[in-house]
Amino acid sequence: MIEVLYKIIQMILFPGFAFIGVLSLLYEWIDRKFYAKLQNRVGPLYAGPHGILQPLADFIKLLSKEDIIPEGADKFLFTLTPIFFFAVNLLLTLLLPICGTSGVISFTGDLIFFVALLTITSILVYTAGVASVNRFATIGAERAVLQFIGYEIPFMLSIVSVVISSGSLTIKNIVESQSNMWYILGPNLLAFAVYVIAVQAELERIPFDIPEAEQEIVAGWLVEYSGKKLALFRLGRDIETLLLCGLGATLFLGGPLGPVIPGLEIILHTLYFTIKSIIILLILTTLKAIFARIRVDQMLVFSWKYLIPLSLISVLIVRVVF
Amino acid sequence: MSFYIPIGPQHPVHPEPLLMKFKVEGEQVIDVEINVSYTHRGIEKGLEYRDYMKGIFLAERICGICNAAHTLCYVQNIEQLLNKEVPPRAKYLRLIVEELSRIHSHLLWLGLAAHQIGFETLFMYVWRDRERVLDLLEMITGNRVVTSYNTIGGVRRDITPEMEQKIRKGLDYLEKRTKYFKKVVMEEPTVLVRTQNVGILKPREAIELFAVGPVLRASSIKHDVRADDPYAAHDEVPFNVITYDTCDVYARILVRIDEVLECINMIRYSLDHLPSGKYRIRLPVVIKPPPGESVSRVEAPRGDLLHYVKSDGSDKPYRYKVRTPTLANIPSTARMLTSRGDYIVYIADIPIIFGSVDPCLCCTGRVMFVDVEKGKSWVWTYNELVKYSRERFERHD
Amino acid sequence: MPKPGLMIGEVYKNLLSKRATILYPFKERELVHLPEGFRGRIVFNRDKCIGCQMCFRVCPARAIEIIEDEKGKRPIFFMYRCIYCATCAEYCPVKAIELSTNFENIAFDKKTLLVK
Repeated sequence: MIEVLYKIIQMILFPGFAFIGVLSLLYEWIDRKFYAKLQNRVGPLYAGPHGILQPLADFIKLLSKEDIIPEGADKFLFTLTPIFFFAVNLLLTLLLPICGTSGVISFTGDLIFFVALLTITSILVYTAGVASVNRFATIGAERAVLQFIGYEIPFMLSIVSVVISSGSLTIKNIVESQSNMWYILGPNLLAFAVYVIAVQAELERIPFDIPEAEQEIVAGWLVEYSGKKLALFRLGRDIETLLLCGLGATLFLGGPLGPVIPGLEIILHTLYFTIKSIIILLILTTLKAIFARIRVDQMLVFSWKYLIPLSLISVLIVRVVF
Repeated sequence: MSFYIPIGPQHPVHPEPLLMKFKVEGEQVIDVEINVSYTHRGIEKGLEYRDYMKGIFLAERICGICNAAHTLCYVQNIEQLLNKEVPPRAKYLRLIVEELSRIHSHLLWLGLAAHQIGFETLFMYVWRDRERVLDLLEMITGNRVVTSYNTIGGVRRDITPEMEQKIRKGLDYLEKRTKYFKKVVMEEPTVLVRTQNVGILKPREAIELFAVGPVLRASSIKHDVRADDPYAAHDEVPFNVITYDTCDVYARILVRIDEVLECINMIRYSLDHLPSGKYRIRLPVVIKPPPGESVSRVEAPRGDLLHYVKSDGSDKPYRYKVRTPTLANIPSTARMLTSRGDYIVYIADIPIIFGSVDPCLCCTGRVMFVDVEKGKSWVWTYNELVKYSRERFERHD
Repeated sequence: MPKPGLMIGEVYKNLLSKRATILYPFKERELVHLPEGFRGRIVFNRDKCIGCQMCFRVCPARAIEIIEDEKGKRPIFFMYRCIYCATCAEYCPVKAIELSTNFENIAFDKKTLLVK
């Protein structure tokens, strides 16, 4: 009984929903500030010291705006999609090993469960675009599906390389098998590069922010959402960023492992996890700053001509070495 | 299955309102219909109620960015009517400010083109470096964008030797940065893949559809008003007419960047050879030119600019007409935006194709009635327009 | 020869250099440099004015009105109609009108936009 209560407190407070909420807003602030500094300007500045409360201010402002449902839209799907998007992403953060070698929920084969639920978020993007019956949203949803065909296979294959190196499909075992050497310093470097590019496409950031291209189709599949639903989508997107950076840190950089002082284990593990996922976030932001946006057909050509062969080669390398 | 999507009148990519209705099938564009009448302001009518010296300031506000070209065209028109010559120092000073404003316009356009293909970093860098040109213009003329430098009979202020030093230092900085931007455009693969073989306008089509400016020069046709019909010291300052022959958006970007480098060389040459003497001849405040007509042409940053004036001997013009380069480029834009045969236009290409024409829509609006069945077209006079607006007001009261 | 990501050198150099933004108007007002020929708000010297009404005749925006006071005729300037073209300063024969470098000309009350 006490364990169930303890687990519930872990799920809600730390390292569960409240901690993830605060951390994802912090990641958005780091992304915006670093992106601004790369472009020689200041990012958020006035909300809180150095603008650190700006993502929270944006979220609260969106919650207070009017929520309009277009007349021809499918009300059921239109209302449910943001809630599911947010809920699925929040659920998956419980699997990340933040303050120990296993997350709040951990069972055999939970990596497959993780990746399977991630594909649901991509399908929800398509549903959101089609449910708001608007031409721009339909075009945005179409492009999202085309992009999904492009990045899903390299993403899976780069995870397969790590699975072959560690010999297990459970996140806890993958973390524990990196206690001697992190995977990125071995034959998994190519898989790491492919993973980073595939994550950039999944999070819909430049050079792959094709479904939401502001200049061409005015916010794409998000165009009809406003008020609380838009707030949920944006927070869900932030949590997805934290999720994928955290997964990258777990699979390639050793997760929460590092030199520990007995007694302070929880704090140090959390700190290592946060620092490693911030490193991956900074790599993603640099990629955002140095490229232009490509077209959707060029994205498919790039993915099928370069990314998939590279990911297959990385699987072969790992299979041969191990 | 095809449907229509409207781009505009309000859209994040357009700085000015216009309506383009596209017929699309999936991601391919099949047809386009352009409507540019949203910013009609009645400036030609306004110029008929102002005398010549005050009309300079209204003509300047036809377009915010090409204001040096519009004032230059206007004062050249009036000087042709009055048959007066400006002193040689004034001609060189007019050239310096005109070329600085051309550098400003092309750098602003380069930033917007980078924004339209999604390259935010290049946009921020180009607009940061454009501040140097604005500082130079502010030092010479007193204001950053709306310069009010030309007047009938010469220019209003002089350049001192300290200003010359600062202009030269600014030009060195701009040359270094422009060469870096040229390198980025020519070598970054995401930019190349978005701009090459996109928005093709063949040379024959460019001549048939009367394209002007960098759009024409990027289709390998050598035409520039400064070389063909020189004005204001352009016959004494040497320069090259830049053409490229790939006829796509990539060529238009390179034409404009190379023109910036040419402008920098022209300004350096004219600073080296600046003649001394007066910079303005004094004319009376109220000018009454003899009755007659006059036409003057100037190479604005976007192409050929044409002004026509007819005077009847009084202190206000009888009729003033302005034909801006963007109006002449609209049929070419419509041709570039339709797919035909092997050449396919995607929705993702629309902003960059439309932006490569460098539209400045504030000068473009015209109103004309066309009766398609009877095959005739006419325009309304001022009294008819006033009568119509009063009737509509009473009907909707 | 295409080189992907060639802006990365410049972009990382800018991480270490100072920002290009000026935090005007709350903090860094003194960093806004204006040259001396800048056309800002009109400053009028009553003692030099001789009442010739030249400024009234040349103003393109009809922003000047002539009133009488104890020394004779003199102009008043409406800054909300002014287009800052400096024609009045150019044509004044005694140079009683000058344009300063004050560009912050917005107000809640129209009376602050009147130069007497």
